[in-house]
Amino acid sequence: MAGKSGRTIVNVPDKSWKKTLLCWESMLVVVFILINIFCASISSSYQFSSVLREMPKYLTEMFLLFPMAYILILGEIDISVGAIVCLSATMTCMASNKEWPFIVVVLVSLLVGTICGFVNGLILTKFTELPPMIVTLGTQIVFRGIAEISLGSGGSVSLSNTEGFRMIAGKVGTIPYILFVVAIFAVIFTVVLSKTTFGRSVYAIGSNSRAAYYSGIHVQRIRLIIYTAMGFMAGLAALFLTSVLYGANTTTGNGFEMDAIAMAVFGGISTAGGKGKLQGGIISGLIIICLRIGLGQINMNPQLILIILGALLILAVLLPNIGGEVKLKKKTAAAK
Amino acid sequence: MKKKVLSVLLCVAMAATLAVGCGGKDSGSSDSDSKSSDTSKDSGKKTYAIVTKSAGNPFNEKEAEGFQKVIEAEGGECIVKHPEAATADAQVSVIQSLISQGVDSIAIAANDENALQASLEEAMDAGIKVSCLDSKTNTDSRQTFVNQAGTKEIGQVLMDAVLDITGGEGQWAILSATSQATNQNAWIDAMKEVMKDDKYSKLELVEVAYGDDEPQKSTDQTQALLSKYPDLKVICAPTTVGINAAAKVLQDEKSSVKLTGLGLPSEMAEYIGDDDAHSCPYMFLWNPSDLGSLSAYTSIALVDGTITGKAGDKFTAGDMGDYEIVDADDGGTEIILGDPFKFDPSNIDEWKDVY
Repeated sequence: MAGKSGRTIVNVPDKSWKKTLLCWESMLVVVFILINIFCASISSSYQFSSVLREMPKYLTEMFLLFPMAYILILGEIDISVGAIVCLSATMTCMASNKEWPFIVVVLVSLLVGTICGFVNGLILTKFTELPPMIVTLGTQIVFRGIAEISLGSGGSVSLSNTEGFRMIAGKVGTIPYILFVVAIFAVIFTVVLSKTTFGRSVYAIGSNSRAAYYSGIHVQRIRLIIYTAMGFMAGLAALFLTSVLYGANTTTGNGFEMDAIAMAVFGGISTAGGKGKLQGGIISGLIIICLRIGLGQINMNPQLILIILGALLILAVLLPNIGGEVKLKKKTAAAK
Repeated sequence: MKKKVLSVLLCVAMAATLAVGCGGKDSGSSDSDSKSSDTSKDSGKKTYAIVTKSAGNPFNEKEAEGFQKVIEAEGGECIVKHPEAATADAQVSVIQSLISQGVDSIAIAANDENALQASLEEAMDAGIKVSCLDSKTNTDSRQTFVNQAGTKEIGQVLMDAVLDITGGEGQWAILSATSQATNQNAWIDAMKEVMKDDKYSKLELVEVAYGDDEPQKSTDQTQALLSKYPDLKVICAPTTVGINAAAKVLQDEKSSVKLTGLGLPSEMAEYIGDDDAHSCPYMFLWNPSDLGSLSAYTSIALVDGTITGKAGDKFTAGDMGDYEIVDADDGGTEIILGDPFKFDPSNIDEWKDVY
């Protein structure tokens, strides 16, 4: 599959069983099973029902993972999403406190998020030389600033009417609604990324955006769409987060962007762009959630949990690299 | 193809988890239980949890220590939980985890008044007794609140201290935490209320400065106060971080401005003294360890049904004496630990090693 330049073209589907079993995503599935066995063995309260009950708060971050994976595959980064969640949650609460119908409140939440994402996208596509990290760092401060001004001196806003939010925090049996919503978006984002020309274009841009541009891909349009989608999902995350927190404050959404990036990277998505699969990110997201719930239940020091997650993350980035180097050595040895 | 295989694997994984999760449990605790909360009943021990504002907060840790001591002395099992960050968001995860573990009670120092409502209501629905200590939640999210000292009492003692140290007249300023801090704002409002009395008419409050509970910013704010108001006589800092920073500035600069407020004895010991060499004649605080102990007795009384959290309920808190639940300003109920404790040169040495 080596091209003329000797470069391997990425994302050429390889359908052999062996490859599938040995790929990063399958290994993650194994890790996922092991983690669950581990958690169930250390905590007697780690059961299907308790995991499902504790999940909704963590699942809000999964919404951010999907578009974040796209952005990372583009070879870019968006660190303003936590601030978008904060701003959107603030506006959602304020709209709800104005006694507007719940459907309007939902629209406000999604709209605020989408607009913020669109602003990010617009800046980045109009001024293509600007590095996304710096631009989103700027908008992060701006969005959080607007949220803090809206929150006023109290620094927080609470829902006066929680009815609608109680509804979306509801459950079918023991399964919370949010899990269905996450599942639906997981399928949509995965299919679009792996089965459509749009998805392939994303990989192409991530591998070499100039080449992608010359081969007729609307690079800027795709970037704009993805950043806007990021904003939309942040709005959705804010909506569900509000249904857990019944309010918003200046710390809402702190660190969400990093959690989303961590999930994606753990899932094998390269921050350099062009590599990785959303499926991996989703499984690793579930792994992180299960590990947090399990270790939380045995009352482990939360800072220690963070250290474990950090170590796992480094290990996850290290492993494929070590694998790659071994392969390279073998190849050079064979060439000799 | 690959995706299909993957999704099949994922489904298998889910199913396996289910089986392992339930299976592991069945074999683990065999015949006895179907609910996780039963684990505590098996051993006849009740489980009492305390949730702090954040890890590494010395004040909260003293509270947790006091709580733990009482619970263990009374034969209960104690869980001390710190959230991973000082946010309500992180406390939600902690509460959810405690519900899963089936604890009997939760005592929490809330990082936000309203944000914990959904999860604390869920806890109460699951039969867990919920009380707050140190910093309260809204009335829907708690059964009662163990208050360190009434807001009015704190306002009163601080104003009297200012009156006493200034000698009855002159300029004074407040160095607070952040402008949103609920506790500090309530105390400052209480002080302003007290100040309306004629007795305090010659005192002039020139500014309320905010040091955001950061040592550096509090230091800067203190220096700014000194240069802005040359006639300033007293600074009152109702926050442990602020008073510590201000004490250092005043003492280092050998300023004639005096200090009072709420501070930790261990941090303030070197600044407390009656002479000119010391910047703080006396200050106040409550005993966080006692607050934790009272919270523990409250949790125990809630769990064994002695009290339900209604105003008028009475209970005995070990050798701390009898306490009664009273109506709080916010419409809920509270238990007041007592008047703030005064630290002056005569007693600071014995307290500085305590907390």
